[in-house]
Amino acid sequence: MSDFSEELIRSKTEDDQEESCVFSGTGMSFPWLQKHIGTVATGGKKEKDFAQTTNACLSFIQEALLKHQWQQAAEFMHSYFQILEDSDSHKRQAAPEIIWKLGSEILFYHPKSNMETFNTFADRMKNIGVMNYLKISLQHALYLLHHGMLEDANRNLSHAETWRYGEKSSSQEVLINLIQAYKGLLQYYTWSKKKMELSTLDEDDYAYNTASQNMLNHSWKTSVNLCALIQTPGVWDPFVKSYVEMLEFYGDQDGAREVLTNYAYDEKFPSNPNAHIYLYNFLKREKAPREKLISVLKILYQIVPSHKLMLEFHRLLRKSEKEDHHKLGLEVLFGVLDFAGCTKNITAWKYLAKYLRQTLMGNHLAWVQEEWNSRKNWWPSFHFSSFWAKSDWKEDKALACEKALVAGILLGKGCRYFRFISKQDDEVLRKKIKRIKKSVKKHSIVNPGL
Amino acid sequence: MDFPSSLRPTLFMTGPLGLSNVPDMSFMCSWRDALTLPESLPENFKNEALHLATGLLWEPETPGPLPLLPPGPDPWDPGVTAQDLLFRGAFPFRRKPQAVLDVTEQLSRFLWDHGDIAFAPLGKLMLENFKLEGARSRSKKKTVVSVKSLLQDLGGHQPWGCPWAFLSYRQRRFSIVGGPVLGKSVASLLGELLHEELAMRWEQLLLDDAFTGGALAWVPGRTPQVGQLVYPAGGALDTLCFQEVSLPPGGDPQALGDPGHIQLRGPVRQVVTRTVQGESLLAVRSDYHCALWKVSKQGRAAPLQVLQVGKGATGISLSPHLPGELAVCSRSGAVCLWTPQDGLQQVYKDPETLVFCDPSPWRWADFTAHPRVLTVGDRTGVKIIDTQGPPGCGLLLFRGGAEASCRKGERVLLTQYLGECGPEPQLPTLHLICTQFSLYLVDERLPLVPMLKWDHDLPSAPLWARLLPPPCPGCPRPLLLGGQGGHLQLLHLAGEGASAPRLAGPPQSLPSSSDSLSAFPLLEPKSQWRLQERLKAPTIGLAATIPSSASEPVLSLFQLSAAGDVFHQHLHLQADPGPHSRAPTASWTPQATACCSRWLKALLDVPPTPPVWAAPTFSHRRLLGCMEQRKVEQKEPEGLRAAMAAGRLLQQKDVGSPPSAGPPPAPEPGPEDELSARLEAAWEGRVAAWWERQQGRSLGPGRQPKRRKRRTQLSSTFSSLSGRLDLSDATSPPHSPDRASPEARPRPPGTPPSQESTQELWAQGVPSERQQTLRDYMARLPLRGDAPRGVCSPLSGTSSIRATRSRPQTLQDGTAELPPRRNTRRGAAVSSSQTSSVWATPSRQHLPRDGVLRCPRSAHLCRSTPMLPRTLSSPSPSVCRYGTGIPKMNTSHFPDGKGGEERGKPKRQDATRLAVGVEAPLISVPFSTVL
Repeated sequence: MSDFSEELIRSKTEDDQEESCVFSGTGMSFPWLQKHIGTVATGGKKEKDFAQTTNACLSFIQEALLKHQWQQAAEFMHSYFQILEDSDSHKRQAAPEIIWKLGSEILFYHPKSNMETFNTFADRMKNIGVMNYLKISLQHALYLLHHGMLEDANRNLSHAETWRYGEKSSSQEVLINLIQAYKGLLQYYTWSKKKMELSTLDEDDYAYNTASQNMLNHSWKTSVNLCALIQTPGVWDPFVKSYVEMLEFYGDQDGAREVLTNYAYDEKFPSNPNAHIYLYNFLKREKAPREKLISVLKILYQIVPSHKLMLEFHRLLRKSEKEDHHKLGLEVLFGVLDFAGCTKNITAWKYLAKYLRQTLMGNHLAWVQEEWNSRKNWWPSFHFSSFWAKSDWKEDKALACEKALVAGILLGKGCRYFRFISKQDDEVLRKKIKRIKKSVKKHSIVNPGL
Repeated sequence: MDFPSSLRPTLFMTGPLGLSNVPDMSFMCSWRDALTLPESLPENFKNEALHLATGLLWEPETPGPLPLLPPGPDPWDPGVTAQDLLFRGAFPFRRKPQAVLDVTEQLSRFLWDHGDIAFAPLGKLMLENFKLEGARSRSKKKTVVSVKSLLQDLGGHQPWGCPWAFLSYRQRRFSIVGGPVLGKSVASLLGELLHEELAMRWEQLLLDDAFTGGALAWVPGRTPQVGQLVYPAGGALDTLCFQEVSLPPGGDPQALGDPGHIQLRGPVRQVVTRTVQGESLLAVRSDYHCALWKVSKQGRAAPLQVLQVGKGATGISLSPHLPGELAVCSRSGAVCLWTPQDGLQQVYKDPETLVFCDPSPWRWADFTAHPRVLTVGDRTGVKIIDTQGPPGCGLLLFRGGAEASCRKGERVLLTQYLGECGPEPQLPTLHLICTQFSLYLVDERLPLVPMLKWDHDLPSAPLWARLLPPPCPGCPRPLLLGGQGGHLQLLHLAGEGASAPRLAGPPQSLPSSSDSLSAFPLLEPKSQWRLQERLKAPTIGLAATIPSSASEPVLSLFQLSAAGDVFHQHLHLQADPGPHSRAPTASWTPQATACCSRWLKALLDVPPTPPVWAAPTFSHRRLLGCMEQRKVEQKEPEGLRAAMAAGRLLQQKDVGSPPSAGPPPAPEPGPEDELSARLEAAWEGRVAAWWERQQGRSLGPGRQPKRRKRRTQLSSTFSSLSGRLDLSDATSPPHSPDRASPEARPRPPGTPPSQESTQELWAQGVPSERQQTLRDYMARLPLRGDAPRGVCSPLSGTSSIRATRSRPQTLQDGTAELPPRRNTRRGAAVSSSQTSSVWATPSRQHLPRDGVLRCPRSAHLCRSTPMLPRTLSSPSPSVCRYGTGIPKMNTSHFPDGKGGEERGKPKRQDATRLAVGVEAPLISVPFSTVL
């Protein structure tokens, strides 16, 4: 009982510590402050012997962990449990968390540790102090899940789900939601396993009906479990994904769309690209109209212009009838190639080369110039330097050809990249290079006469 | 680019730091990061689980790093420590003793040791005029007094450190009367500055962010086994060294030849190097300058350009995308893109911090996957800004707050872009953000939500990080994290493309240079201590490389310490430690110990540091001056001077007159009258001398006015200072200066220059409302009655007896003005009486009248004081603090404080200015380059 009351007043006593922590006046705290102060001769109360010993012990454990000396760390840990007897209530309460954190790590990596040891340890730790029950349960379940013990994990989560202590605080609520969501995820795993089984069964079979009935039940339970969490702001990719999959399976397209729309467009949520990707994929599966797809990808384009879906976006825009979509299509291609990770994307270069020609033939020089204006002072050295000409030619001739075409169109045939590639004498590509030269001559936005 | 198809579940909560209502996800352990949620089917991930269980371990070859280069010729001193700055007291009601900045102690030491500096400015202020409050002007002579002589006392002869040293009466009175004022001004003015300085030093001790990013860089050479280390050397870290190093496979790195030097005019704080499109560039940040070099294939550095940053540069980074492009940030909050061709372009400016208010002027900028987008960081967060977009817009990438479940007091210490330009860029969108507690990996495509968080728990500030290429195909990439205290942590980053970044295996700590102590032979304590201090010197740079051609992955790690030492260590990858293996413990090889011994020998050959600070013993300027004069005027104590010069015991013959050893000490000075003075003299057996003096006094009227004037000035000084009068000056009424009051009243008749010796007379010059106060005051004074003028003078020996009684009176009057060649302890016992010296040399006001022989700082006071290095020896620390003395040169200027206007300006202007710098870099750069 005393444990309980102490934990409740903990938030008050914690302030004491901060005073020594926040010392510099800037509000910044320094973990190494105590070390500095320790070097100054003490004028006041010294740390108790026991506190000194436990601190030393803690640092031994940390050191051993960082040196991967699991055996030694375990030995030190054995002694460290003594801190649970500390007369300083503040320290005593902080101890379970530290013990769990370090202890689970040791047991996770210790060569002689096995699952039973870990389970025993986790079960013990859950019940020391009340504040850590949920957290430890969750992590324990993750551990079990990681080791493929789905049933045990499920049981663990079920236990934790029903656990309550005192007033239901918001942090407790989030944790419980999280636990429920993981439980839902586990159910999803079972469900998807059953779905696999089902797909092997004949529809007219008797077994098919029971199996599908089973699946229905699961789905209902899962939706209850997952629903609560995915309303909370956060990144819940695996949960959303599985939930939507189940909803879709049962034909609840509207429900799925709502979940995904909410996940993608709710302002309280972080701007998670995956949310938009999921929504796009869903709409694509649903065979939604092109306009709809474009509008989803437009937002993704604003968040992640470098995403590989942007090429798909470009294709959609290209196919669209609207003029401004065609313009956006060009912008998207330029945008993709702005990024360092996409410089070798041959598809993007191919698209750009093709689309540039197309655009220029369509008498939209202004579009190209608009895009080019903000890039002309850095694309030449970023993409079309002679260094890249050499290395691209060496590594990927096809890429080099595409880039050369783009370089020629944008920079004129005097550009180093184009010159280098056009001078290359390659049996296979001779024809292609010739074609490139021709295109450049015809389309280049740089007028040599001026 | 791929985006991870499924991110780890994370709660997203907005709010300030240390929001207690959020379930702290960092409570999750490191292994939690190893846990991957099965994507869809449970079957898939069992293999992965097995894969993860095999930890990666980089095994050090030796228990600690080894010195790579011989120690530099400059001695090194650890500088200010916590002991110097802190006072640890306990308040009875606190649970913990609290450490506070020890201003009191520092201040008192400062006043003892640098009294002239502490008080002289005040005296200089007083020097001009002293005006008695309320006294209207009679004549200049009477009412305006000079404190010059007093200042001479103060300035020239401090009782250094010895509270019992002789004080002149004047000084004593000055200190009593002026005490409140002096104390106040010194405490308020100097104390404030001192506190500021101490706080600054203390903050610097806690976190010295000058070296953020690291001052050591590895420039790869033509072959993977050769490269160059670039680092600052020399006591002031102002020599940039280029040391070629070979990394033979399976052997220790070796320095090839002597390093090339470039002498700069400021300490090097950060050295950055990058090879972009085959072009190696080297950028250096000093306090107020940044410079760019190009390193040729042969390893020669050619200067490109220098940039002057008026407010001080805090960070510099080289673009991984475009050769020769840099981002520079300054204390003013401005961030500029800098290219040698196009000059500067200010892309961001905000003196405020991003998320919440933090006083630190530290700013940082780095690049992102988009060459035209930068990250701008300060202590509170990191923002992504588009340099081509409208100013002021941007997106927070990292926010010190609940989004990343930051703790209270958590601050950003380092941000770094982890992507690099390579044939296959890995992690091209990841940014590393380090705080004093944790390390965050943030993807710029998903701002605010860290992809990974790991509590590094480093015991010092993590100010440098190096991401290395994967040692073998498919291996996780090592990420080195270095703390200021030399602590090193190695993390393994896995996950590229479609999978989220995660830690592969538990992080690992690497030995730091203080672990190398065991490789050195045991020394005698003093040298051992020196060695220890040297090994413990804070790290200021970190460089690492994995020579790719080696059959077995090897990691070479170099660390630069503040003492200028480069240590290296060598690590082997132990990919699969096996189920039963323990981390093996390395041991010292004979080669390693031999190397250490050689280094140690060189280290001990370096003369130890001269103490940073030593208490001054004498102020020489006055004494030297007086010596010159004495040569002319005085025929006197040659013997004494010789004794002093020889440093031997002072003997009778040296002084030339017999000591007054016989008679018992004179009685306590009573009321100062002629009779008692005479009796006193008689008691001491010097009545004849007294008589002569009396005679001389009355016979020398020519001297009187001067003396009087001096006294008047002095006394009015104090009356104006303290509001009370010294009785000894009762004889002269206070006057206001002629020039100050031309309409001086012709009144009262009793105030001619001649002496007025009654209270009533002096009272005439005092405004009536103050007379009663004065009367009351004087009634309490022991000095009463009409004393003979000379005797009641404050300078008279008799009246100063009280102050000087404790010292043996060994010398005759007027004999003890000694040359200050040597201060023997005997000197303390030798002193002159002011009376005689005043009479003997009344006109020489600048001469020291007393305390020529000061008690030198006695041994017990000469203890090593908390040394505030030299900066404190000046009363205005603000001047010294930034007095780096780098002259302004014709270089490009960082547009500090110009606000947004710089942005709109055509860049051409900058470009032309810079062009000058390019043409003649050796002349116009403040870093004078001497290769």
